[in-house]
Amino acid sequence: MIRINETAWAAMVAHAEATYPNECCGAMLGQTKLGTVDGDVKNVTLAERLENAYAGAQGARYEVRPQDLAAAEKKARAAGLDLIGIFHSHPDCDAYFSKTDLENSCPWYSFVVLSVKGGRFDHANSFLPNAEQTAAEKEELIWPKS
Amino acid sequence: MAKILIPTPLRQFTDKNDSVELAGATVAEVMAALTQKFPDLRKQLFNDEGKMRSFVNVYLNDEDIRYLQKDATAVAASDTLSIVPSIAGGSHGDGHGSH
Ligand SMILES: [Zn+2]
Repeated sequence: MIRINETAWAAMVAHAEATYPNECCGAMLGQTKLGTVDGDVKNVTLAERLENAYAGAQGARYEVRPQDLAAAEKKARAAGLDLIGIFHSHPDCDAYFSKTDLENSCPWYSFVVLSVKGGRFDHANSFLPNAEQTAAEKEELIWPKS
Repeated sequence: MAKILIPTPLRQFTDKNDSVELAGATVAEVMAALTQKFPDLRKQLFNDEGKMRSFVNVYLNDEDIRYLQKDATAVAASDTLSIVPSIAGGSHGDGHGSH
């Protein structure tokens, strides 16, 4: 289960809406509690905007620059937090894990997809891709007021 | 001994260590030493053919080894290696719900 706090969620939605009609991306930092009554719980307390580094049209593509991800990881280490996952938006498109998402994913993180329709946040889902990049399991996602 | 920084989700395979010091003259040797020490890490980083998974990047200090001598890049004791995944995607690509 991944739970996103109010501050982080507000930053994620604001980033997704401001970047519309392009895709946005960012890193989610927080703490993981293993083996609670709810299983492993990932608590996201900080969302970092990352630049969409995709070289072509960004309406339906995003790319995270590895250096930016390394910087987010470094920031997490310094703050005593974990880099828990990556978020990105799907402008005028549902929050599913696309073939492109799967083929460019990594199994170590939670991938939160925010659907933005007509410039406003619509819904979101979280996914856990496998190492072979052939399937992604849906993960329970809890955000404020959901 | 070079230092390897371990990303958070991989620390479950490294006895919770966030960094590991290992000997090796090249990136390939250090990575081999790492997966020898922590065998469960191997399938996270390498595929069944023993190739590094496509999403895995290794940085020597702040440089992507792809732009150095790849896994033959020399490693000094004062160097830090980082494992950083490539991440990208997009809502296009399968005609499912896209424009
Ligand atoms: Zn996507």
